Amino acid sequence: MEREFETPTADSIVERISIATQAGPLAAFVIRPRRMAPSRPLVVLHGISRNARALVRHFRAEAEHSGRLIVLPHFTMAHWPHFQRPGHPARADQALVELLNRLAVRFPDCAGRVDLVGHSGGAQLAHRTAMLYPQRIARLSLVAAGWYCLPDMSMPYPYGLGESDARGAALWIRRKQACLAAYLGLEIRVYVGTRDTLRDPALRVSPALDERQGRNRHDRARSYVEAVRAAAFSQGKVADIALIELPGCGHDFEQAITEVGLARIVTETPDMTLVLAAAG
Amino acid sequence: MTISFEAQLASAKWTFSTRRVDRTMAAGMDTAFAKARPGDLILAHVSEIGQHRRVQLSSGRHSDIYPGDAVVLACGARYAPDQFEGFAEILPEGADLLAGGGCIGRMVARNERIKSATRLIPAGRLLRADGAALNLDEFSVRVSARGDRIPVIAVFGTAMNSGKTVATAQLALGLRRAGWRVAALKGTGTGAFGDFNEYQDTGAHVVADFTDAGMVSTYREPLERIRAGIDRLLAHAEDAGCEIAVLEIADGLFQRETAQLLADPAFQRRISGLVFACGDAVAAAGGVAEMRRRGVVPDALTGMLSCSPMASAEAREATGIPVLGKNDLSDPAEANAFALRAGAEWWSAA
Repeated sequence: MEREFETPTADSIVERISIATQAGPLAAFVIRPRRMAPSRPLVVLHGISRNARALVRHFRAEAEHSGRLIVLPHFTMAHWPHFQRPGHPARADQALVELLNRLAVRFPDCAGRVDLVGHSGGAQLAHRTAMLYPQRIARLSLVAAGWYCLPDMSMPYPYGLGESDARGAALWIRRKQACLAAYLGLEIRVYVGTRDTLRDPALRVSPALDERQGRNRHDRARSYVEAVRAAAFSQGKVADIALIELPGCGHDFEQAITEVGLARIVTETPDMTLVLAAAG
Repeated sequence: MTISFEAQLASAKWTFSTRRVDRTMAAGMDTAFAKARPGDLILAHVSEIGQHRRVQLSSGRHSDIYPGDAVVLACGARYAPDQFEGFAEILPEGADLLAGGGCIGRMVARNERIKSATRLIPAGRLLRADGAALNLDEFSVRVSARGDRIPVIAVFGTAMNSGKTVATAQLALGLRRAGWRVAALKGTGTGAFGDFNEYQDTGAHVVADFTDAGMVSTYREPLERIRAGIDRLLAHAEDAGCEIAVLEIADGLFQRETAQLLADPAFQRRISGLVFACGDAVAAAGGVAEMRRRGVVPDALTGMLSCSPMASAEAREATGIPVLGKNDLSDPAEANAFALRAGAEWWSAA
């Protein structure tokens, strides 16, 4: 594991690490607060703008505020031209899990469940990783994913778990089906801006996708939440999922952080007071 | 010049199957070879080199052997269709090196493509200070857990060299990559370090085989003893905090002990997942039919057939069971699906 430190401040320490994984090298920023609380680590996944370094600036204060270890993987264009969807071109899920395994050597809480947050393409990776390794995640926060892998058979893979001619579809469907019950038991929070309704060039569109999931990220978030609820219900469970609309926000993660405090929202835990008290 | 007993033992090549033995407990030896039972430790000298030109040492490396070399091995039987069948019998005039891992006995059959067994002349049966024979059974792993909690994914195969060990190792690797504390175990067979080392190379948290449960070989052992040995290995894995185990069962489905285990309702209840390694599609179809007849269905097929897309397609078509290659098994996403299907619990989350 290679390390590179930012200049220490009186507050948190930000360390940039690089690890070798079976899927390729992965860099990550690790924010260690001055007072570490006995709390779940938080992993934050950037979108296709790959703005991990910018997100560090926003989440550094949250690490200090919450006492949580915050990890921001950086899927660089050089090594990860595709990272949003585990599959043939890239296995960001493997790299992410290996990152946690490696961090657990230094930070034992990383061996337990972590909270996983992803924005846009990062939200795609986040929910797909959660479908494959649900036991490693406690709270899944998805911010404005472009589209989803629905946890049902209503759409062919990769849009759902229905049969498909897509490469390796049977393999991936079987893997996700094996983990589905645990996935549907996760605490899931889905965030989307009320103005995230543009069909910009980065948004995947197709007649089937538009019809089943919606024409924009806002509608697709709602469809996903409904699909999770229905899938859990079909298994005799009540899904712990909520849709949170971010007033006035478009698709910009940093805007949502600065204008509605999204970084604070996804970092806070219900037992924050107890956690901070324990940290002294 | 007379060489002392201690000096003979010190200069002897202690084979892999004796790796757990406390050598200081060897206080003497006798020549009551007729009384030798499986697991008894035998000091022997190499008399004629045959099939095995080297032995596997307890240190984990091979050693060439030469006529006259002193070797410490365990009396045992062997069932290996590619090599020998042998019984746990020692004749004073000579015995056979049945396996390079350190199994001495009497060869009763051999594959025509291989040479005769390397011949050994037994010097003595090692004894404890109280005069009892020193036996591997005394050195099995000590356990406190019961071994009835950890989920087990069993790996069976159509025959020797069908790909079971690769499947076991690669699945253990995938589980370790997914973050599980995993045990890679070999439940039956004849003691040798090849499989053991292959498991260890995956970084599995616990690696053990039936020699760790006190048996040099499981061939011709009663089913109860084999089951108890497996339970001991699983208990050992639980003691070490493992969350899931991958358990290889040697040889093909029709081999005596393998068939007994497969048909055993208690063993069937104990396993939570099943991988079947096959050489080709016909073997896969026959093996799956035999398993179904016994009331079990593999979760996946693997082995040599998975190297061929055509053979894989044939097997899938004939059995309706997915075929996984070694890269699939070592994929943490695939291995994780196995773990969750098997009911593994993520203790780190507690």
